[in-house]
Amino acid sequence: MNLGTRKILDRSFTAVGFGSIAVMGIALLIVLVPIITNGVGSVFFTGTIEHRKMLFNEFGRGNTEELAKENAASEEYRKQIYGMLSAFEAELETMETEKKQDYLSKYGPVKTALQTLIGPLPGEPEAILTRYKYGQTRWGKAEEKLHEFLYETKWDYSNPDAMSKEYFVSRATEFEGTSLVKLFPFVEEHLEDVLRPEFTVYWGFLTDSSVDSHIFGGIWPEIQGTFFLAVGAMLFAFPLGVIAAVYFTEYAREGFFNSILRSANSTLAGVPSIVFGLFGLAFFINTLKVSESKSVLAGSLTLAIMILPTIIRAAEEAILSVPKTYKEASLSLGSTKWNTIMTVILPAALPGIITGGVISLGRAAGETAPIIFTAAVSVGSAIGLADVFSSPTPALSWNIYNLASEHEAAAEIRHVQYGMVLSLVSIVLLLNLSAILLRARISKKLKG
Amino acid sequence: MMSEDMQKESGRSGAFIVSAQKRKMQKLAKTGGESVLLLIASFVAIVVLFIFYFVAVDAVPYFQLRGFREFFTSSNWYPAGEPGEFGALAIIYGSGMVTLGSTLLSVPMGIAAAICLSDILPFSVRQYAKPVIEMLAAIPSVAFGFFALVIFAPLLQTHGGPILMWAWWVLAAPFLLLAVIVVSDLLTAKIEDQNRRQQISLVLLAVFALGALAFLYWVGSVLQGMEIITGTNALNVSIILSFMSLPTIVSVSEDALQAVGRDMREGSYALGATRAETIVKTVLPAASSGILAAVILGVMRALGETMVVWMASGNSSHIPEPWFNYLEAIRTLTATIAGDMGEADQVTGSARYHVLFAMGLLLLVISFFSNLVSERIVVRQRKILSGQ
Repeated sequence: MNLGTRKILDRSFTAVGFGSIAVMGIALLIVLVPIITNGVGSVFFTGTIEHRKMLFNEFGRGNTEELAKENAASEEYRKQIYGMLSAFEAELETMETEKKQDYLSKYGPVKTALQTLIGPLPGEPEAILTRYKYGQTRWGKAEEKLHEFLYETKWDYSNPDAMSKEYFVSRATEFEGTSLVKLFPFVEEHLEDVLRPEFTVYWGFLTDSSVDSHIFGGIWPEIQGTFFLAVGAMLFAFPLGVIAAVYFTEYAREGFFNSILRSANSTLAGVPSIVFGLFGLAFFINTLKVSESKSVLAGSLTLAIMILPTIIRAAEEAILSVPKTYKEASLSLGSTKWNTIMTVILPAALPGIITGGVISLGRAAGETAPIIFTAAVSVGSAIGLADVFSSPTPALSWNIYNLASEHEAAAEIRHVQYGMVLSLVSIVLLLNLSAILLRARISKKLKG
Repeated sequence: MMSEDMQKESGRSGAFIVSAQKRKMQKLAKTGGESVLLLIASFVAIVVLFIFYFVAVDAVPYFQLRGFREFFTSSNWYPAGEPGEFGALAIIYGSGMVTLGSTLLSVPMGIAAAICLSDILPFSVRQYAKPVIEMLAAIPSVAFGFFALVIFAPLLQTHGGPILMWAWWVLAAPFLLLAVIVVSDLLTAKIEDQNRRQQISLVLLAVFALGALAFLYWVGSVLQGMEIITGTNALNVSIILSFMSLPTIVSVSEDALQAVGRDMREGSYALGATRAETIVKTVLPAASSGILAAVILGVMRALGETMVVWMASGNSSHIPEPWFNYLEAIRTLTATIAGDMGEADQVTGSARYHVLFAMGLLLLVISFFSNLVSERIVVRQRKILSGQ
C-alpha cells in the first residue's frame, strides 16, 4: 500500500476512536440536558393563582390576606366570563329545539375546556377528585389549555394512504351569531388577569406528599421510599460483602472450591435484574413469607442480593491495593492474622471499600426491575420507619415508569415525571461523583 | 524451694509461651472464625443455587401443564384467553432482535473507544473521558427508558426520516470515502511507473467517489422518505440499549487491550508499522479473546435490560414484517415478565403465572452460560499473555 494511504488510514483510525468517545459524550449530554432543563421546571416555574389556592387549601401554606386580595382581583374578570356564560344559557332557552340541541352539544366541550383552564364554574356540583377542584396551576400548561379552549382539534382522514393529519377549528366561528362569540377573545386577552401568573419556586415539590396521584403536590413519598430501599439493601449487603472479600483475599486457598465460589460471584453479577425480581417474589415473599405481600424488607433483601457481587469485587480490590509492607510490618510485630486484618488492613482499605459501597448504593437506588414484584406500589403516602417490615412503598424508579406509561393523565404531568427523573439521576450521579472524588484522593494518598 | 522456683519460672514464662490449653483454644477460635468466614463467603454460591432452584421450581409446572412445543414454536401470545395461548416465539425473537441491533451499534463503537482510551489518548485526557463512561454506566435504566419513551420516541415518529438520513450520512460518508481511497490505491499498486500510477489512481478515485456519492445519496433519500408509524419500536430500543451496554464493553475490552504488553506494541512499531497497523494486526489479535468476553457481557446487558424495552419497545407480540424491520413495535422476554406479572400473580399456580418463570429461567440459563464462557475466555487469555 502507498505510504500516503497508510497515513490516511492511520489518521482516520485515530479519528474513529475519538469519534466514538465523542459520541458517548454527546449521548450523555443528549440524555441529561433535557432531563435537567425540564426537571428544574418542576421546582422553578410560572405558577398561577390556582397553584397558590391549591397550596393554601391542601397544605395550609400561603398568606390568607394576600390570597384574598389576589382572588378578588381575579374574580373581577371571572365574573365577566361567568356573566357571558349565563347570558348565552339564557339565549339558548329562546332558541328553537333543533338549533338549541345543536348549540348545546357544542357548548358542553367549551364549558369543560374552560373549567380545566380556570377552575370550577359556579353552579356546578363540587368535584370529588381534587384534580377538578382547580384550574391550571402552571402558566405553561395554561397556555396549552387556552389553545384547546379556543380551537377544536379535528383529524383529517381523507387520504387513506397517509397517516391522518391534525387540524384546528376555531370555536368562535362555531358560535357565530350568538352572544358566546365574545367569550373567546375575552378569555384570550384576559387570561393573565384571571390566572395571575407569577414566578414561583416550589421547593415543596421535593418535600410534599402527592395530592390526587401526583396531579398536584410533591414526590416526598417516592424519595423516602427510594432511601429506605437503598439503605436497607446496603445494611444487608455491605457487611456480608466486606466479610466475603476478606475471606477471598486473606484466607481462600487456590483450588476447585474457591474457583466455584468465584464463578458464583460473577454469575450473580450477570443475572438479569428482572430475574432477581422473580426470585424475590418466589423466595422472600412466597416461600419465606418475610411479609404478607410486597414490603420494603422484601425489596431491600432482593436489592441486597443484586448489589452483593459489586460490593465484594470493590472491597477485594481495595484490600488487594493495600501495600504488602503494611501487613508484613504488623505480622512481624507479633500481631495475629485476625488482628492484622482488623487493625491494619481494613482501616487502610476502608476508603476504597466505601467507594464501592457508595456506587452500589446508587445502583440500588436506581434499579427498578427487582422491586416491581417485591416492594413497589404506584400510589401511596410516605410510610413510617416501623412499617418497613410489612408495607410496600412508592419509589422514584418505579413511579417514573408508572407515571410515564400507566398514569391516566401521563401527558398532563410531564413536569412531575421530569422532576422525578432529575431527582433520581442527581441522587445517583452525586453518589457516583463523590465516589470518583474519593477514589482520586485515595490514589493520590497511596502514591504518597 | 525448688518447686516454688519452678512455679515462678513457669508463671513468668507463661507470658511468652502459650500454654497447651490456651493454644488449643486459640486454634479452635481460629478454625471456628475461619469457617464462619467461609460460610459467609459461600453465601453468594448458595444464593446462586437458590435463584436457580426457586425460579426453576416455579417454571417447571408450566412445562408440565403445556409441554415445550407451544412455548418455543408458536407466536400466539394470549395469556389471558380462555384457554390461554402461550407461544413465546415472537417474544424470544423480539429479545434477539433488540439484542442484535444494540450489539451491532455498540460493539464497533465500544471497541473503537476502548482502543482510543488505551492506546491513543494521552493520560491527562483519559482522566476526563473515564468519568463520562462511568456516568453513562451509572444513569438508572428507568431514566434511559423515560428518555426513550418521552423524548426520543416522539422525535423518531415526527422526524424519523430526516434523522435516519442524517445518521446515515454522518456514519457512512467517512467510511465510504476511506474505502474509495484504499480500493483505488490497492488496484493501482501493481503499476510500476510512478507517474502513470498517480494518474490512474486519481481517475479511479474520482470515478469511485462519484459512485459512492450516488450510493450515499440514494440510500439517504430512501431513508428520508421512510414513514415511521410508531416511535416506540425496535430501532429506538436498540439505540438506547447500545448506549447502556457501551460502558461494559469499553471497560472490559480496555482491560484486555491493556493486558497486551508494551513489548508487543514496540516490536510492531520497530518493524515500521503505523499505530493503526500495530493495533489492528498485533494488539487486537492478542486481545481478541478478552474483547470477545467484553462483547458477551455487553450482549448480556442488552438482553437482560428490562425498563427501557418495557417502556419504549411498543410491547406488541408479533414477528415484524419483513423479519428485519426495526421500525415496528416488538416485545421482549424481560418486558413480558415485568408487564404480565401484575395480572398473573393474582392467579398463582396457573400456566399464566408459571410461564413468566419459564421465561425467567430461559434468561437465567442464557446468562449463566454466557458468563461461564466469558469467564473462561478471560482466564485463558490471562494465561496465554503471561506466557504459561
